Amino acid sequence: MPEKLLNDLIIGQIREAFTNLKEPVVILFFGSRENCDYCDDTRQLLDEVVAIDEKLTLNMYDIDTDHEVAKLYHVDKTPGIVIAAKNGDQIIDLGIQYSGIPSGHEFSTLIQDILLVSGRDSGLNPQSREYLKNLQKLLHLQVFVTPT
Amino acid sequence: MIRAEGVEAMEFPELSDRYGVSGVPQTTINDGTGTVVGAVPEQNLLAEIMRAVAK
Repeated sequence: MPEKLLNDLIIGQIREAFTNLKEPVVILFFGSRENCDYCDDTRQLLDEVVAIDEKLTLNMYDIDTDHEVAKLYHVDKTPGIVIAAKNGDQIIDLGIQYSGIPSGHEFSTLIQDILLVSGRDSGLNPQSREYLKNLQKLLHLQVFVTPT
Repeated sequence: MIRAEGVEAMEFPELSDRYGVSGVPQTTINDGTGTVVGAVPEQNLLAEIMRAVAK
């Protein structure tokens, strides 16, 4: 067993935040055996997060051997994380994903994303919703961030 | 119809370089058609999205 990445204090804080979880969430992790410095740590981190609440599950894939799944969810980098809604056995892709290890500041982004998907509400204002629901083509947003 | 991807800029330097990311957060819309630097209010982001989509 490797040493845990999350200490008891942080787990306690996440558990408290997760009291606001509503619907089930599934996290899809895409790793790679080659050229992926952060895959092991990312997988372990996600493992520890989903263990905190039973509404959360983790599916693990390899971007090479499971390339069909990766393609389906538009994952082209590792570590790749898709935060999706779960309805029974059904995975509903909401187009929310993260590429890289969600550490530092980005760890709270991960937790917020999980809560957002669990609540099944984007929180966007009516004007944005009205415009976005009428999009005719795929809209791809890439938000570049750093852990610090 | 919408894919929102957080990208750890330092882990993917080629991509960061391609879009000229010098500070974070920076948002790239549709592979560089639009760009938003910094964390901006929702309406500002929407305005840039509209501009990029209309191009």
